Amino acid sequence: MNYKLALSDETLLSIEKPERYIGNEVNAVYKDKDKVDIRFAFCFPDVYEIGMSHLGIQILYGLFNSYPDVWCERVYSPWIDMDRLMRGQNIPLFALESQDKVRDFDFLGFTLQYEMCYTNILQVLDLSGIPLFSRERTWDDPLVIGGGPCSYNPEPIADFFDIFYIGEGETRYRELFDLYKDLKESGISRDEFLRRVSGIPGMYVPSLYDVKYKEDGTILSMEPKFSDVPKKVNKELCTDLSNEFYPTKPVVPYIKVTQDRVVLEIMRGCIRGCRFCQAGQLYKPLREKSLEYLEKIAIESLKNTGYEEISLSSLSSSDYSKLPELLDFLIDKCNEKKVNISLPSLRIDAFSLDVMSKVQDVKKSSLTFAPEAGTQRMRDVINKGLTEEDILRGSRQAFLGGWNKVKLYFMLGLPGETDSDILGIGDIANKIAKEYFETVPREKRGGRTVEIVASTSFFVPKPFTPFQWAPMNSKEEFLDKANKTRKGIMSQLNQKHIRYNWHEADATMMEGIFARGDRRLSDVILAAYKKGCIFDAWSEYFKFDTWMEVFSEAGIDPFFYTTRERDDDEIFPWDIINCGVAREFLLREYKSALTGKPSANCRQRCLGCGATSYGVGVCMEEKSGA
Amino acid sequence: MHKLRLKFSKKGPIKFIGHLDVMRYFQKAIRRADIDIKYSEGFSPHQLLSFAQPLSVGATSDGEYLDMVVNSFTSEKDIMDRLNSVCNEGITIRAVRELDEKEEKAMTLSFAAKYEVRMRQSSQLPAGWTDDFMRFLSRDKLPAMKKTKSGEKEIDMKPMIFDCRPLTDGDGVELILSMNSKETLKVSLLFQYFFESCGLDFSPVYLNINRADIYRLFTDPDGRRYIEPFIPANDDERFYLDG
Ligand code: SF4
Repeated sequence: MNYKLALSDETLLSIEKPERYIGNEVNAVYKDKDKVDIRFAFCFPDVYEIGMSHLGIQILYGLFNSYPDVWCERVYSPWIDMDRLMRGQNIPLFALESQDKVRDFDFLGFTLQYEMCYTNILQVLDLSGIPLFSRERTWDDPLVIGGGPCSYNPEPIADFFDIFYIGEGETRYRELFDLYKDLKESGISRDEFLRRVSGIPGMYVPSLYDVKYKEDGTILSMEPKFSDVPKKVNKELCTDLSNEFYPTKPVVPYIKVTQDRVVLEIMRGCIRGCRFCQAGQLYKPLREKSLEYLEKIAIESLKNTGYEEISLSSLSSSDYSKLPELLDFLIDKCNEKKVNISLPSLRIDAFSLDVMSKVQDVKKSSLTFAPEAGTQRMRDVINKGLTEEDILRGSRQAFLGGWNKVKLYFMLGLPGETDSDILGIGDIANKIAKEYFETVPREKRGGRTVEIVASTSFFVPKPFTPFQWAPMNSKEEFLDKANKTRKGIMSQLNQKHIRYNWHEADATMMEGIFARGDRRLSDVILAAYKKGCIFDAWSEYFKFDTWMEVFSEAGIDPFFYTTRERDDDEIFPWDIINCGVAREFLLREYKSALTGKPSANCRQRCLGCGATSYGVGVCMEEKSGA
Repeated sequence: MHKLRLKFSKKGPIKFIGHLDVMRYFQKAIRRADIDIKYSEGFSPHQLLSFAQPLSVGATSDGEYLDMVVNSFTSEKDIMDRLNSVCNEGITIRAVRELDEKEEKAMTLSFAAKYEVRMRQSSQLPAGWTDDFMRFLSRDKLPAMKKTKSGEKEIDMKPMIFDCRPLTDGDGVELILSMNSKETLKVSLLFQYFFESCGLDFSPVYLNINRADIYRLFTDPDGRRYIEPFIPANDDERFYLDG
């Protein structure tokens, strides 16, 4: 541990939650800085409690620190009060473990989990005293590298980064570190070094590409500046997850954070192919971890952390083929040790209800369905294989089992959506309530009644999904649709039992701009930051008007990125990246969507998406042919 | 079923961790150490664990106490070693003692606490302040307004101060203050009035506080009242109250 803190006692006692800045948590890694060659600062550009809840950082933190020559430390965005104080007193940003200045590190890595963190990246660079633009940096600055879902279209923030790592982090960092150790002292220029980096698979060095635009604002070409720089960057992927490093000694925060439990990642990828879902495409193909491996990891992690809860993590846990065996094991072990099990993303059916009744307090917990759309027609468009019958059957079984709370998630603004799809939301919520009253006789209700919460978010088309060509709704359309949804619910017989929540439209619009944005947005992000935009993911700090002001000053039309329908052959800013799923496949899926034709899942029939080239996971399984 | 009382110190950056989070810290440490702690009954069982007194954020301590109930254990030393092997964050278990089954909780029994108080850099107090402080304490009465649930009330701090002496290294004082269900005197309240008497601004962050120990009350065979740490480090830690 480290008793020497960067901030004085007085400072720490004058701010909200000093725990965010002192490090020294259980399982935090301390090394002798004179005995390592590489100092890596890993940043989640949001507040500590959010960043500490993220599995990806814990994985890479553990992996990097398993290398004797590397010391990886953590950095989070200083909260507003601390930000002010650091600027006021010229305190440079420091990493939590050593409390040393971030600027003195060899690498500064950012995990890019959502678009609304972009101004926080600038905050972290700025407070560290690192030049914001890659082109202004020298060997005195750390190499700034980004990874995570937003790095699949990193163009809006391309100018701020030296390198993007495309794909799963486990595979290529070691090569990058070795190259750095070999060359840093050799007198090579930073630019020359970055050019060498571009030769490592999965490494995208944005400064090595020229982008040319057509008159209509779309991209004409995006070409490497040198012949030895790859034309496309291929996604990196772990081929054998059951023999891969997993952090069984994750850092355990002192304070309550969002994800305050052992997280057991049971597989990566998804077989389902929902057409709106980016994660489903990015992490293809589905790869399961072996049961023995997961059992071992679960026991070790609980032992090393002392957590009182363990949670399964994956995109769709019901698709894990050994789920019953895994749950039997966990229930057995966890009962013994009084550990709770939390089971997000399970499909509601007889099996999952039985399991849930064993691990949760039925009276307190709620059922979750994500039909995503109000009618079967629309669910076929988005390829969401959940029928009304599935929902009603699941609800009935659950009501018989004692549940009475139901949460429903929908999206508004999906391609081809009509009023009847919107009204379908109220309709389905009403049918669930009706199911309750028909299933549970009055005398069995015990003074309780059915409570349904329907939530809608606004749909944002994302890169590498079939809907990457689709227009996004305007803010006015969104709000109009939310209004119609509300009225639709209000007109239902059981409306008293249905609550309705919807997302903010302003933030969704910004997300839509950045999701499919290009390099010209770097200047807009910088200008917004200079005008005080920071913590945009927090509604209380999000300044929509400032953003709009900045767009108009820069002469950039934000709707170019959102409401415009793209031509089939438009060159996208993210085409430089190959995520393993072919563009032709996505286009085929888009056309099927527009005609309302659903597709099979990867276990029924291979759709030939292209991911089979990795030669692993579900692509190699026999198909059921259904 | 066995009742155990643990004495621990809290040093370094973990002093910024508040009371509830220290509790959560111990709950996890007990699991890591594989201690056969007893759980409450019911749907969400919790560990039978309780602390003597919360310590304010920013203060260190050499003598905090926590009581726990275990189903089984091998020895007091084993409990201490197990916990110390999984606590590397500035918490050190200094002693473990098995209690009589009928023993009340440390929370109920605590009577007084000993503090070492020094000044942080930001305080405006001139060197030699300890003399002034001793003089301040020698007043007949030390009236103060104390915040209560229903507003403020006037109290006299004087009878709640059992002892005060300058630290041997001269830059601070050692105080024994009342800390029980009837009356508790906070170090910061006392110093607020001292600073006021010097005509200086006060903020609790000026105070660098270490809690040295927590005491319970006894009466000896002669009827004289004395206090002693829950688990004394030495034989002679008895402190007679009435002179
Ligand atoms: S190649 Fe076939 S099985 Fe593999 S991920 Fe793509 S669609 Fe699924």
